[in-house]
Amino acid sequence: MPMPARSRQRRSAERAASASPFAPTATLILTAAGAAAAVALAPAEGRRWVLGTVVVAWVCIAVVVGRASALLRRANRRAAAQGGELETARSAWQHQVAETSRLVDVILPDVTRQVRGGGDAKQVLSAVALPSDPHLQQLLRMVAGELSASVERAREAEAGLEGVRERLERGTAELRRLTEETLPAAVALLREGGSADTVFARFDWPQDALLRSAAERLIRELAYSERRSAAAQATSAKALSRVQAKTVSMLADLREMQERHGEEVFGDLLRLDHSTSQLGLMTDRLALLMDGRSSRVWNKPIVMESILRGAVGRIDAYRRVRLHSSSRAAISGFAAEGVMHLLAELMDNAANFSPPVDEVHVYVEERSAGLVVTIEDSGLKMSDAAMRRAVESVSGRVTDLASLQGTRVGLSVVGRLAVKYGISVSYRPSSRGGTGVVVLIPPQLIAQRHEPVTAERPRQAASAPRTPADRPRAVRSAPAAPLSTAATTPTSTAATTPTSTAATTPTSTSSESAGRGGATPNGLPIRSPGRAMAEAERIRHKPAAQKPADPGESGPARDAGTRFGAFHLGRRRAGGAPPDEDARSTAPEA
Amino acid sequence: MIRKPVDLGDPDRLYMVTGGRSETDSSLDLVTLIVSECEPTTGMQSEHVRILELCRHPTAVVEIAAELRLPITVVRILLDDLCALGKVSARHPRAAASVAGLPETALLQEVLHGLRNL
Repeated sequence: MPMPARSRQRRSAERAASASPFAPTATLILTAAGAAAAVALAPAEGRRWVLGTVVVAWVCIAVVVGRASALLRRANRRAAAQGGELETARSAWQHQVAETSRLVDVILPDVTRQVRGGGDAKQVLSAVALPSDPHLQQLLRMVAGELSASVERAREAEAGLEGVRERLERGTAELRRLTEETLPAAVALLREGGSADTVFARFDWPQDALLRSAAERLIRELAYSERRSAAAQATSAKALSRVQAKTVSMLADLREMQERHGEEVFGDLLRLDHSTSQLGLMTDRLALLMDGRSSRVWNKPIVMESILRGAVGRIDAYRRVRLHSSSRAAISGFAAEGVMHLLAELMDNAANFSPPVDEVHVYVEERSAGLVVTIEDSGLKMSDAAMRRAVESVSGRVTDLASLQGTRVGLSVVGRLAVKYGISVSYRPSSRGGTGVVVLIPPQLIAQRHEPVTAERPRQAASAPRTPADRPRAVRSAPAAPLSTAATTPTSTAATTPTSTAATTPTSTSSESAGRGGATPNGLPIRSPGRAMAEAERIRHKPAAQKPADPGESGPARDAGTRFGAFHLGRRRAGGAPPDEDARSTAPEA
Repeated sequence: MIRKPVDLGDPDRLYMVTGGRSETDSSLDLVTLIVSECEPTTGMQSEHVRILELCRHPTAVVEIAAELRLPITVVRILLDDLCALGKVSARHPRAAASVAGLPETALLQEVLHGLRNL
């Protein structure tokens, strides 16, 4: 703290200045008095010497005192001048301090506020009372300038930031819309077969170039891969349909060869037949997966026995499958192939996953909910996971080809068929120790059983001499009503028909239809497809056959001509009958 | 209506009818007469049922084959099965001739003549 030191200095200087005017004079008087006393006291003989000495001493003292007082006065004057200077400096300093504090406390905040508020630095400075000190003024200008510049920069940066944020938000919104709406819809459209250009035209794509090009590239790639998979699928389906057609014609050829050739090649032909049937199953399986069609379409109801045999005949281990069916139901033609394929896949599965020595048992029950086919193997119990996978597969919920695993495609095919025909397939543990599959065929797939044509055709076929051209039609209708053939009398039909109410219908219609076509229980006439043709055939053959219209007699007691016709035809169909044997057998009669 | 020939077949394959067998060592001749010994029962193979129905009156093997539209070999295998179960019996044609009540020779000659003209 310099202040107290300065005040003390000042006080001592004032005291010195106030004491100085009297002290020299008093000293001179006192010394003169002392000298006079000394001269007066001095002995007379030394008075002169003393006087001389005293005068000299006093003069010396006077000179010293005079000189000292002069020096003192000068010193006092200088001190006074320095004190004045000090005062000036102090006031200047205080002024400076005041200005500085005003600058710091008032001007700078004011200037800062105004500059921040958007004022120009020069205008703000001109409006403010500037400090008088040029340095402070310069400082203020500099600060104001820098402040204004930095405020400007901050404003610019803020604007830039705002722009960036806006762009970012727009980009985010576009990205979100692209991800959540556009891309899924576009992918769905592509899956349905839309081209990439259609997709680009239909949807609203992002403005952002980068995002847009990414989406475009993705869509093009996706469209390409969709096109590729669709082309692959279509090509395979087409190729497979040719294989299917070939297989079917091979089967027909084989059947024809089995008719024509004798016993020596029969076994080989059967083996070939079996292999070809298996080939047909594999081809159908692939074709279904490729969205192709079944190899065959039956245009007549197929009885359950034929359905089961048709299914079993397509699998490798057909000898291990035991069929337990007494059902007379028939599956409508449109669904027959599908049901056969489905059962074949399930039986194949059952046979493949059970020991090669164990049998697979197939049971058929007629229930009001439909036809229940149970396939039981005695293999190992399926694990829970495998069971879940199998249930998932046969549910048909997943039809994507990507879900296929390797060669195990059978159950996926079952799933597709089950969904297509509304068949329910469920798994349960078998009482035989293995796994049981319960297939419920809904009633709408089961054919109505009163079919006058099927009852009529075998009779007509039996009563008229057969010609090869007549054959296929009769073969077609034969399995549909195995019991109501020409040989059946009404009583035997009734005896062999199961007690189900639906099965009584063919009995009544077959006897009725012999004369004038069938009728519903309510009495309405029934005209089934091909009926008119059959009628015409029957009438055409009436003159040739002796007793064609009476079902009661035409069966067992057929006339000799009919019998001989059948005999001769049978021999011809046997193929192995050489002409000489023919001659030998007929010779006795001739 | 013209149908594709592929639709006219039958889902049954012959190896399913015979249970995979293709040979038989039976002594059944083409003209052996077969007579059923019992009525068909439910649960029988449909071919067996038809044979039993057909053979209520003595019928030749070759005639059964023609009725069933099956190759002779298959019919013989089926008949073997039925014979083994005792459901049908086989008779020699000569012995059965009187039973069957064959038509007159003149008619047969006429038929033969007609057949040869086919």
